[in-house]
Amino acid sequence: MLKYLSPQNCLSKGKKMVSSKIQNSIYNISISTVVPGLMSGHDAVQELSAMDLAMKLHYLRIVYYFKTPTFDGFTILKIKETMFNWLNHTYITCGRFRRADSGRPFIKCNDSGVRVIEAKCRLSLDEWLETKDDSKHELLVSNQVLGPDLAYSPLILVQLTDFKCGGKSVGVSWAHVLGDAFSAVGFINLWAQAMIHSYPAQPLTMAQQHNWACDLQNPKPNPYPLSVKRVDPVGDLWSTTSNFKMETASFYVSTTELTRLQAQICGKKVDQKVPEFECICAVIWQCLAKVRNGSGPKAVTICRNDVKTRDKGIITNESQTIGLVKTDISAQDYKPFELVSLIMNKAEDERMKIKEAMDRDNELPDFLIYGANLTFVDLSDAPFYEMEVRGQKPVYVNCYIDNVGEEGVVLVLPSPKGCSDGRMVSVTLPENQMAEFKSVLNEDWAIA
Amino acid sequence: MTATLTQPAAYHIIIIIIKSIQLNTLHILCFVLSILFVSTVYFMSKPPSVVYLVDYSCYKPPASFRVPFSTFMEHKSLAFKDNPKGVKFMKMILERSGLGEETCVPHQTHYIPPNPNMEAARDEAQLLIFSAIDNLFATTALKPKDIDILILNCGMFSPIPSLSAMVVNKYKLRSNIKSFNLSGMGCSAGIIAVDLARDLLQALPNSNAVVVTTEILSHDYYKGKERAMLLPFCLFRMGAAALFLSNKPSYRSRAKYKLVHVVRTHKGSNDKAYGCIHQQEDVEGHVGVNLSKDLMAIAGESLKTNITTIGPLVLPASEKLLFLLTHIGRKFYNPKWKPYVPDFKLAFEHFCIHAGGRAVIDEVQKSLRLSSEHVEASRMTLHRFGNTSSSSLWYELSYIESKGRMKKGDRVWQIAFGSGFKCNSAVWKCNRNIEIPSNSPWEDCIDRYPVHIPEVVKL
Repeated sequence: MLKYLSPQNCLSKGKKMVSSKIQNSIYNISISTVVPGLMSGHDAVQELSAMDLAMKLHYLRIVYYFKTPTFDGFTILKIKETMFNWLNHTYITCGRFRRADSGRPFIKCNDSGVRVIEAKCRLSLDEWLETKDDSKHELLVSNQVLGPDLAYSPLILVQLTDFKCGGKSVGVSWAHVLGDAFSAVGFINLWAQAMIHSYPAQPLTMAQQHNWACDLQNPKPNPYPLSVKRVDPVGDLWSTTSNFKMETASFYVSTTELTRLQAQICGKKVDQKVPEFECICAVIWQCLAKVRNGSGPKAVTICRNDVKTRDKGIITNESQTIGLVKTDISAQDYKPFELVSLIMNKAEDERMKIKEAMDRDNELPDFLIYGANLTFVDLSDAPFYEMEVRGQKPVYVNCYIDNVGEEGVVLVLPSPKGCSDGRMVSVTLPENQMAEFKSVLNEDWAIA
Repeated sequence: MTATLTQPAAYHIIIIIIKSIQLNTLHILCFVLSILFVSTVYFMSKPPSVVYLVDYSCYKPPASFRVPFSTFMEHKSLAFKDNPKGVKFMKMILERSGLGEETCVPHQTHYIPPNPNMEAARDEAQLLIFSAIDNLFATTALKPKDIDILILNCGMFSPIPSLSAMVVNKYKLRSNIKSFNLSGMGCSAGIIAVDLARDLLQALPNSNAVVVTTEILSHDYYKGKERAMLLPFCLFRMGAAALFLSNKPSYRSRAKYKLVHVVRTHKGSNDKAYGCIHQQEDVEGHVGVNLSKDLMAIAGESLKTNITTIGPLVLPASEKLLFLLTHIGRKFYNPKWKPYVPDFKLAFEHFCIHAGGRAVIDEVQKSLRLSSEHVEASRMTLHRFGNTSSSSLWYELSYIESKGRMKKGDRVWQIAFGSGFKCNSAVWKCNRNIEIPSNSPWEDCIDRYPVHIPEVVKL
């Protein structure tokens, strides 16, 4: 059954391989599709905005862990029934890509559905979570990308893995072209609502499109914004090859540690208060600057939730700010407080520039945004833990962005007990920098 | 004088009396024999019991088993990665099939690739058959202990114990039940089951029969490359129906229909007909059902034979006369005369043609010169439910009822085709005015029908 996960569009070649012991603990894999229960999409055409297309090479992989007895007695047929009902209200996510005559991709809402993968794990949930290998989470969520056959590539894949003890993990793979992490989590939480037969009044829609008339008058188009890395044309296989194997590590930063960091950063400025996110960004930025020995990063990208433009019931890429912070000298040479200041005050929102770069000519360039520079994404407010099944919250949610640039990506996530209890931080870096980064983080900032 | 007769006189009188007694005996004997003869003739030619179809129920698959076109093609292209020509062929079939986006396949068929196995087939059988029977019990108030005859037909899945035994077990039917399990008889087996029920109801007075007709898809799946064998699984979908038949006079007013005729035509003596729907292994050893290119021609021939038998039973005198005159004329006068196709629209108000595929319905419509209204039930059933094999006739009948078109006295002709090659017909007469049923599989969608079905749906 594994061959149906299409080796040619797996990203395993770009990712650190999981230890074989862990890999062998996953077995009995079967693949099916769940479609909306009622005809929902009616073959409607969903156009994509410039921002959507700019994000198309990225994928969100989120794994929810539930302890027993959350899913006890919930047979696969019953679970799928809740999914049919859920998807009735989210027909856009059930569509498939097509290309217009101009070559511009759009979504045909043809009710193709989401892919469901069922698997079993030989370990218990506790044994699994206690395993030190951070890349284990990747086995519980699909690593498929869109293409090479776009018409038959699902936008969403859900993997349900049963642990020996009765615990269950739900691994959701979400194509970023549909929307950002807040959109993804909102979509998944609709499923939790569907399980208790609570449905939204309107189906999930994409944000209203702005006119994409480009400025043909401009003889000298602006260079691509710094927050973007243009890659070679990817055609219909929406992934990139990287020279480096990327590795993701997650660690918990408790409130106590955060307070200590804030104190360390503020130093004698007792009347200053440094927000948690900026604090973490500054710390990691400095560590990486040290690891990269002055070769950067001289620019970082900061992605945050644009609360003002975010509406309920909408999936979008338009409501996340993409702020660029530039420095002239290496971050190592700044005081941490100065870095925090830069991040808070000097982040330039580059969304308009990105849209303009995408629509500027008919070429439709392929971009990497996450990882084009060292990217920090603030997901502390994302409602991961609202995904309640039968009144039970997940015991842990792991989240990372797949197919990112080599500069690295840092996600700041809520901790299982809520933001008052610290943060989870997920760091994706080239494999050869991870060990040193962890060691610098530990030595300089006492974060394990 | 004592009136004692003299011996010779008495003797004469006795002889006369005896002679007259003998004459009387002869008369009496003749009389008795004639009574016996007339009685025998009377009882031998006693009109057969009327067979009523009290009611029937069709299984409605839940929307969660739905397979839209796009998902179907996606699965096929993933499961048949090394056979792109086959995938292209299946796409072409689906585009022209006349199926809609709401047809359903069983749970196992939603996997990539499907995982046919006995447990899944049993689960599917239980789901379909028990749902249909439960619904039948609910609408007719029939009790399991009152079932005297049980006939179940399912072409492809025939486990041990049989599916009819499964029904006996589930509903705790009586130990003296007459149960039958028909398998391997193809899509026309539903009518064969009705025919068998009718024969049994002639033999057993005052009895109830339940006929269950279905096809189970979770047990078989063709994995090979032969195009003629890929075709059936493109069109087969989940479906089942349960019928309650009875000869009890107490159902005379309640029953929906009376069974008027069953005409069975078997072309199996012809080798081509026998082999045109043939389950076999392909060159790689994969088992599938092979459809020959001659299928439509053979279907046409078998329909002609069936019509020749059923025509005289149902056509009005005028049509019969015309047919006879043309027939005689062709035989003796001028063989070039075109054969007269009787107008069956004069004999029937409603037609249910097995929804085996668009081509089957087209062919029958053309042969019998039917209008699009006459074949609407068949086409819409194909669109909404797909080819549900032997149960499709009942979804079609349910469509007509759900549209409020069935009136007392209306005559219905059900025509089914199946492997063998067989063409079977059943003729029903509507026994009472039928209100729009509340438990039909069309309940939530009848208002959307009829729909226009394009020749080709571009996928």
